[in-house]
Amino acid sequence: MANVLIVDDSRTSRKILRTILERAGHTVVGEASNGEEGVRAFQEHKPEVVTMDVTMPVIDGVEALKMIKALRPESKVIMVTAAGKDSKVTECIKAGADEFVTKPYEDEAIINAIAKII
Amino acid sequence: MFDQLFGNYLVDTKRITAEQFAEVLAVQSTVRVKLGLIAVAEKLMTMEQADEVNRLQAVMDKRFGDIAVGKGYLTEEQISAMLKKQGNIYMVFVQTLVDNNVLTLEEIEGALVDYLQDMELASADKAVLMSGNIDDIINLFLPKADEVYARVCGVAIRTIFRLIDSTARVGKAFWCGEYSTDRLAMQEMDGDMQSAIGFAGQGSCLLAIANPYAMEEFAEVDLDALDAVGELINNINGMFSSSLAKEGVETDMIPPAFYDHPVKISGKRLCVFPIFIKNDRLDFIVSIDDKLNVDKV
Repeated sequence: MANVLIVDDSRTSRKILRTILERAGHTVVGEASNGEEGVRAFQEHKPEVVTMDVTMPVIDGVEALKMIKALRPESKVIMVTAAGKDSKVTECIKAGADEFVTKPYEDEAIINAIAKII
Repeated sequence: MFDQLFGNYLVDTKRITAEQFAEVLAVQSTVRVKLGLIAVAEKLMTMEQADEVNRLQAVMDKRFGDIAVGKGYLTEEQISAMLKKQGNIYMVFVQTLVDNNVLTLEEIEGALVDYLQDMELASADKAVLMSGNIDDIINLFLPKADEVYARVCGVAIRTIFRLIDSTARVGKAFWCGEYSTDRLAMQEMDGDMQSAIGFAGQGSCLLAIANPYAMEEFAEVDLDALDAVGELINNINGMFSSSLAKEGVETDMIPPAFYDHPVKISGKRLCVFPIFIKNDRLDFIVSIDDKLNVDKV
C-alpha cells in the first residue's frame, strides 16, 4: 500500500480518485488543485506516489512533473489525462512520467498503475 | 433511443399518460436482454471477458460489440446474430404498448406520422429511427453538412449514455449567434483546431449531470456542481481530441471555465444540441474555429 498525493484542478476528480485509492487500501496524504500547489504539497508530504493531472491552471501537470523529478528523481508520478494526444504523452515520458492513466477513472487501471511502480 | 423519443412524444401529445409510459418501459426492460448477457449465455464469451468489455465501454467511445470484436472475443457475424436475438428496441416498445392495451397499432402508426412531421423528419427517416442504431438516429437530429459538429455531438451523447443516463434523449440541434443561459460549464481546445464545448441549463437542470457524475446530491448548481459538469466535458473533449489525434490533428485542452450566474455566449456560429435527461433539458453547446465571448448578464 502507498502514500499518495493527488494533484488535479477538479474537486470532483480528486474526490473520485480518493474514493478509489482508499477503497483499495492506499492512504491519500494530500490533495492539490494545480501544479504549483502540487509541488509544494510534494515537498511537504513526501508521498511515495503522485497522481498528476496533465491539464491544470497556474502550472500544468507536465511542468509540475519536471519540477518534482528535479527535486527527487526517484519519485513515482502517474500522469492522468482525458486526451490521448501523442506529443503530450511523449513529453511526459521524456520528463520522467512513470505511468499513464486515462479519464474517466477505471478502478483497476489506477490500482494496477500503482502496483506496477511501487 | 427511439423508444424514449417516441414515448415522450406520446406523453407530450397526451396520447398516453406518464404512468402508462413508465409501466411500458418497466415491462420492456424485462424482455430486453443486454448484449453481454446473450454472449455469455451463448458461451461466446466468458463472464470475465464480458465484464472487461463493460468496463472498457465506460472509458471508450465505442459500443459493446465494437470493443468485443476489437479484442478478438467476437466476430462481426456473431454480433449480427446476437443483435437479432436481442430484438429491435422500437418493435419491443410497440409490442408492449399493444399487448398492454395502451394503444392500438393503428394509433401508433398515426402518432408516428405526426411525430415525423413535428420533428421535421422525412418519411425515409422512419427506417433509421426504427433501426435502433443510436449513431444513425443521433445524426437525424444534428446539423447537416457539418461533420465536425456532428462528431463532437455524437461523442457527447454517447458519453452521457454511458456515464450519466442510458435513457437520455435528444432534441433537434439548431444554429445561433447568441445564446443566454442561467448556468454554464465550458472548455476550450486550441492547437490545430480551435473549439469550445459546454453544457448550459436553466435553473437546476445541470444537476441532472452533476449529481450522477460526482455521485453527490448538490443542493444547487454552484461551482462544485459545475466542476462535476466540467469533468464530464473534459472526458468528452478527451475522446474527441484522441480521435482527432489519430487523424494527425493535434489539440490542447484548456482547463474548463464555470459560470454560476446568467451569461450570454456570442460567436459566429454556435450549435445548440438539446439533451433531455428525465424531465430536465440541458443544451450542449459547440463552437468550432471561432473565439467565443461569454458575458455576464
